[in-house]
Amino acid sequence: MNPEETGLPAQTGRAVLSLASDLGGVAVLAGRLARRLVPPRLDGPELWRNLHRMGVRSLPIVGVTALFTGGIMVIQAGVLIRRFGAEGLLGWGAGFATLREVGPILIALMFSGRVGANNTAELATMTVTEQIDALETLAIDPLSYLILPRVIAMVVMLFVLTVYGDVLALLGAAFMGDALLGVSTATFANGFLETIRVWDMATGLIKSSLFGFVIALSSSHFGLAVTGGAPGVGRAVNASVVASATGIFVCDYVATYLLK
Amino acid sequence: MTAELDPMERPHGPAEAAARRALADARELQGVFLRTLYWTFRGRRESGEVMRQCFEVGYRSAFFLSVTMGFIGMILVFQSGLQLLRVVPDLTLLGATFLELLVRDLGPTIAAMMLATRVGAGIAAEIGSMVVTEQVDALRMCGVDPVDHLVVPRFIASMVMTTALVVFSGLVSFAAGGATAWFVFDVQPLTYVNFSLLDRGDLITGVLKCLAYGAAVPIVSGWCGLTTRGGSEGVGSATTSAVVNSSLAVIMLDLVISGVGFVVFA
Amino acid sequence: MIELSHVWKRFAAPVLRDVSLRVPEGCLYGLIGPGAAGKSVLLKCLAGLLRPERGSVRVFGGAIEGLDEVSLQAVRNRVGMLFQNNALFDHLTVAENIAFPLRRRGMTDEAEIAARVADRLRAVSLPGFEGRLPGGLSGGQKKRVGVARATVTRAEVVLYDEPAAGLDPVTSQKIFDLLRREQQEAGATVIMVSSDIDRLLTVTDRVGMMLDGALIFDGTTAEAQGSLHPVVKQFVHGEVEGPL
Repeated sequence: MNPEETGLPAQTGRAVLSLASDLGGVAVLAGRLARRLVPPRLDGPELWRNLHRMGVRSLPIVGVTALFTGGIMVIQAGVLIRRFGAEGLLGWGAGFATLREVGPILIALMFSGRVGANNTAELATMTVTEQIDALETLAIDPLSYLILPRVIAMVVMLFVLTVYGDVLALLGAAFMGDALLGVSTATFANGFLETIRVWDMATGLIKSSLFGFVIALSSSHFGLAVTGGAPGVGRAVNASVVASATGIFVCDYVATYLLK
Repeated sequence: MTAELDPMERPHGPAEAAARRALADARELQGVFLRTLYWTFRGRRESGEVMRQCFEVGYRSAFFLSVTMGFIGMILVFQSGLQLLRVVPDLTLLGATFLELLVRDLGPTIAAMMLATRVGAGIAAEIGSMVVTEQVDALRMCGVDPVDHLVVPRFIASMVMTTALVVFSGLVSFAAGGATAWFVFDVQPLTYVNFSLLDRGDLITGVLKCLAYGAAVPIVSGWCGLTTRGGSEGVGSATTSAVVNSSLAVIMLDLVISGVGFVVFA
Repeated sequence: MIELSHVWKRFAAPVLRDVSLRVPEGCLYGLIGPGAAGKSVLLKCLAGLLRPERGSVRVFGGAIEGLDEVSLQAVRNRVGMLFQNNALFDHLTVAENIAFPLRRRGMTDEAEIAARVADRLRAVSLPGFEGRLPGGLSGGQKKRVGVARATVTRAEVVLYDEPAAGLDPVTSQKIFDLLRREQQEAGATVIMVSSDIDRLLTVTDRVGMMLDGALIFDGTTAEAQGSLHPVVKQFVHGEVEGPL
């Protein structure tokens, strides 16, 4: 295909081809990583280092996001609650929305921006400065040494952070309900405990594990597939966060149908 | 090494260091914000530049936003439909409630989170690589404030295009939700499209949010790009912090505007 | 003309330690030293691109370290600068790059701009390159376009950060001779940072050497060549044995 061609059909064609090549790249990467799991060939210390790093880096941002989100949920529900005079339902509404949808999605988006983008930037820098090639010449497999620990760490960490964020979001919601709507914390807690089942939290956490895979795979793929120096690194990060966000919403849609 | 002691070298704890850094960041961000406003009204614009940025922001994000917002519409209508059926067997207000929520909060906020990702990362990457290749310093040597030349066109374009994209992707989201309501819960489109719950307060809050997010994303990301240090690693971390900081700015503004809107209009 | 007194600058670690330096008007001053000695930072402090934490920077007789961006502009309009990475604007053609400082200084006469650009391109032996984009140029060609842009305004002070890096010996010597000729014709004050010491010393009036953020030598070119300071001697003569 002529890269100078700028007509609409050519552009559409190029977009479809690049989408297909990225989807294929992610699938191939997932396959190659899966092969290294049986028998497990994984750098243990590197896994711990990544878990620690990602956790420490994300705790503040996830905490702030979750608290604010809880507050926003209550404000948005407030109109409905007032309209129907149903204070008892606030715990149910906020709890259900947070645990099932809003918590996992927003925390995953923030995690993608913080950890996923950073992962792409790091891997992309290593790729453009030929450090990945250097690893290979030293007979170190970049996939088991670099990528697999990061993928596992991201999935585990997003799961843990979602639990932490869910709790903070509910606290934020309870506080906001009290401050803005005059719904006491006890009423909120009652409404929450009576209606929310373990399954509601479980679906959210299943989703967040899924989002973890999406973020890990797409951020690693775009990091390794980078071309073209410092501007290339910026482009790779951009592409990776966009792909992760799209992936998160598509997976969420599918998961919502399957996990009623 | 020379023998002189550096007078700036004073020992201080990690908490103090973090507080100093936060304060310095806040002052820099405020500087970028004020200079953006100043140059928006005082600067001389090359006429094509704002249009080019509008195209960059709009054209490159429209597809991405429609996909994500479309999915959001389907997911939310599906979830809330299921929940409503548990409480009341009547789904006639499903569309009206969703529309109200979409206009007042979800449309602007989710779309702006996506734009923070798409546009914010792009702005920081572009400006950041100009910083590390010293092009920004060269601009300053030629008498150009980088904020005027690089941030302001993106600022104007982002305010305009965020509003336009929120309306467009909100329509996509509403339509996708309508399709879900029709096929899953058998809610007829005529019942679903219902503006009865939409009032002045919802519209004002929604538009305010569009403008505030549209202003915040380029300023925060431009600041992240302009403070880039180092080589390609620096560009990477500037891009990362642009995504995180502009998303955070969106969420904070959301809380503030929603809170004020609730107190004023409800 | 240019005067620094007791200037300190730090990023994570100190990069300029108590630097005092005076460059007389019309002097071609060469700044040498190993990598990371603080030479580029010193140039950027002189242009007001970086602010020192302490000390005073005087250019054209006035202190610039406390000026805001708007007041700095008056100073910068009289200063030309070539950057280490050339810093050509990617989205502009060669001609637009060279014309950029002229246009920003309010020149609107297109014929005059074109003439000045063509004159500069001839001077750096790149005639006919007006319409090219920086992306398609070799490293040496970018460097020469950078030199053309730095000199196009006929500034009174010109700062060159590595004007000959990555050039072959012949082109490199040509650039140094060109810069010297330009400087003498315009009577400009020039500070030049270069690692190509042999060629740099053929054109300089005075030389300073930096090490670890401090200025450890300042004198005429002849004094530098005959210096008995062990570090300067080793560096100027490129000896392997020595304190460095």
